Amino acid sequence: MSGVFGRTPIGATRRGVIGFSLAASGMAALAACSDDGGGELDVEAQSKGAMEDFAADTQFTATEPFTLSVLWTDWPDLPITDKWQFFKEIEKRTNVKLEVTNIPFSDATEKRSLLISAGDAPTVIPLVYTGEENSFVSSGAILPMSDYVEHMPNFQKYVEEWDLGEMIDNLKQADGKYYMLPGLQEVSVPVFTLVIRKDVFESVAGGIPQTWDEMRAALVKIKAEYPDSKPLADGFEGASMLNYAAHAFGAQAGWGFGSGMIDDGSGSLVYTAATEGYKQMVEFFHGLVEDGLLDTDSMTAANDGSGGGSVTEKVAANLVFAASGSAGTAIEFATALNETVGEGNYEILQIAPPGGPAGQICEPRNFWNGFMLNSEIQDSENFIAILQFLDWLYYNQEARELLRWGVLDETYTKDASGKITLKPEYRLDAYGINPGAPTDIQKDLGWSNSVFADSTESRMLKESYNSPTFVEYIDSVLSTRTPRDPNPPAPLEEMELEQASLQATPLKDTVDTATLQFIMGDRDLSEWDAYVGELEAQGLQTYVDLMNTARQRFEEENS
Amino acid sequence: MVTDIRTPDLASVKPRTTQRTRGERLFGAFNATFLVLLCLGMLYPFITVLAQSFSSSGAIKAGQVSFWPVGFNLDTYGAVMSNDMFWRNYGNTVLYTVVGTAIAMTLTTTYAFVLSKPHLKGRKVLIGIAVFTMFFNGGLVPNYVLISALGMKNTMWALVLPGAISVFNLLVMKTFFENLPKELEEAAQIDGLGWYGIFGRIVLPLSKAVIATMVLFYSVAFWNDWFAAFLYLDKSELFPITLFLRNLIAGASTTASEGAAAAGSTTAQVSANIQAVTMILTVIPILTIYPFVQRYFVSGVMLGSVKG
Repeated sequence: MSGVFGRTPIGATRRGVIGFSLAASGMAALAACSDDGGGELDVEAQSKGAMEDFAADTQFTATEPFTLSVLWTDWPDLPITDKWQFFKEIEKRTNVKLEVTNIPFSDATEKRSLLISAGDAPTVIPLVYTGEENSFVSSGAILPMSDYVEHMPNFQKYVEEWDLGEMIDNLKQADGKYYMLPGLQEVSVPVFTLVIRKDVFESVAGGIPQTWDEMRAALVKIKAEYPDSKPLADGFEGASMLNYAAHAFGAQAGWGFGSGMIDDGSGSLVYTAATEGYKQMVEFFHGLVEDGLLDTDSMTAANDGSGGGSVTEKVAANLVFAASGSAGTAIEFATALNETVGEGNYEILQIAPPGGPAGQICEPRNFWNGFMLNSEIQDSENFIAILQFLDWLYYNQEARELLRWGVLDETYTKDASGKITLKPEYRLDAYGINPGAPTDIQKDLGWSNSVFADSTESRMLKESYNSPTFVEYIDSVLSTRTPRDPNPPAPLEEMELEQASLQATPLKDTVDTATLQFIMGDRDLSEWDAYVGELEAQGLQTYVDLMNTARQRFEEENS
Repeated sequence: MVTDIRTPDLASVKPRTTQRTRGERLFGAFNATFLVLLCLGMLYPFITVLAQSFSSSGAIKAGQVSFWPVGFNLDTYGAVMSNDMFWRNYGNTVLYTVVGTAIAMTLTTTYAFVLSKPHLKGRKVLIGIAVFTMFFNGGLVPNYVLISALGMKNTMWALVLPGAISVFNLLVMKTFFENLPKELEEAAQIDGLGWYGIFGRIVLPLSKAVIATMVLFYSVAFWNDWFAAFLYLDKSELFPITLFLRNLIAGASTTASEGAAAAGSTTAQVSANIQAVTMILTVIPILTIYPFVQRYFVSGVMLGSVKG
């Protein structure tokens, strides 16, 4: 089954393997019955329920009611009920009844692959992150959205307003079409970064480090103060820290490794793990390990369960003072510290990822989760109405506010400056707003649900529900860091995809192993050239050539 | 001390059987220590989870809970038990287990009985068909398409029918039936019983041990199964408790990608004590079955091990 890993050049992860094998095995079954009729739309016959004068910033209301099936990920702490105001209000406003297919969050991607592969997927498949659609493209199971965005005025408006056109182009597959519509973000900051004990950094290390060198100096001071500690940790097998650190060294690593190909500055691609920047990064982290500043357990330990359980324990025990995490991790650390250090005796802060030799650079601007459509829908008589509905739901400002906060003047109010306030009888526990009020707009009413609410956000909406420290974090990233330019797109054709992943997987394995060995000191850095030699022996050059050919072809076809 | 002729016999016999050499005692002590330690090793995780279920979530996150609850509370039990979905899924599990085990036992015993008759024509083919499925299966997607084409998706049958015959259990049972004295059946035949009568009135009552063992095997398997439910059920109100539990626990295992990790952390984390409580409540019923079935179980596992 060479097709098992044949859909993506990204290295296979534990879950990924199952997902891809599901996707790929279904591919063969579906290839026979897929048709390439994308783009041909019978406007007359397919606009049942659609609005004739649908435009940006207007309320979508179907002229005839219809039902739309949606894949719904069930979070264990947020059981869905059909009593939610969310469903009723959407139906009331739009005449569209949502019909959900539940999948448990724990194995959501696997089940999604299965449903799509078996041709059983609901019409709307939400919570798709960019890149996840790649494995379904060649089967024809999902719809090329780019053919239909002309019917989606709100989407187009945001793309233009927030200057996202180029990023959208990067979503294109080898056929020049894109198959998912992402959640658009007016501002994007790294979700995962360093979460530090602000009080300790300020009192012991004299402030918050802005670069990795400053970070190192600060860690040395903290180590001197707390000799038993290994002050820096990563609860995600190193993948998170290497991800945000790599950009500062002009490389790509960890979660962000992707295909491994990175812009060489002249429009071509090079393999990041063989570059000088990557070497510098590895050297830097090895230095931290040598001096006992980096918690090595957290770099290797598989961390099933709570996304950082043992790191949280170490933070609580004053053994770790800076660790990778998101806003959620910060809350988790705080809960644990309340227990040991005591409330009010510590301060936790998310800081902008430190800069490095490549400058004060952070990850490229990002999309957030969006959706794909089951391709069977292109024959539906409601097709245009569905596009309009999704355009409204995902990209209309009012709809986004509705999804986050509920019904204006019922659950929340908005003053003249646009400031949103939740009414005192409602609370939103997930973000600690109005604790103790009788009704939770998320748990009881279904607003702020993660399936739809996080996707597209203006800066104002993002800041409306986040804690002041997170808003501070957004500010600090936006004012002091430059997002890196995205890599030039190099979409692969079907056969190339297969070839690329066959080559990329062993390369990535070698890179992962060697990276860890170099950092941990199990392998001496003087062996760097030997390591690059190993990569070359595994066919690095063929792989790089393949990617660059795709790059050139894309450029010729799209310039 | 008065000694007579008869006592030395006893005195000399007794020490020999009870008094052990130093080596033996050393070995015994080592054995006992080793086994106790092994036992503790096995029990430790369970005890920790039990302790966690009575602890506060902050204490668990700070890593303070090992053998004994810290920040004792019963509220979590109350909270989990007041969750409607928990009970609904719990009820589903009980239903699936009972129905599944009943169907599985009916099919397995009858199939095994037939296969145990050497004079049955086509017996080898029937065995072959069963054994074939031990080594080969259709694969995930084809199976899914099949179940869905049979209209069993989102019904109990998708969970209980495909797993109704475990070939391993079938073969153990077949061997057991083969070892029953042939004469009993012959006597029953002479007395006028047909095959169904023989099976129902002679063979089954004599097979309590193997039946108890198989019931245990099947019910544990149905109770613990989450994968079939994950594949074939799309409505959370149909899920068994194991899927509920898996979602709760594995939901945050998120080192695979940034998107997944972020999704795990943007929603409020399921606190560790809720996970512990749900685990405890889920394993208790199936755990309590063991002591009752154990006496059958011990004799049962030996069944069919020696083919006579």
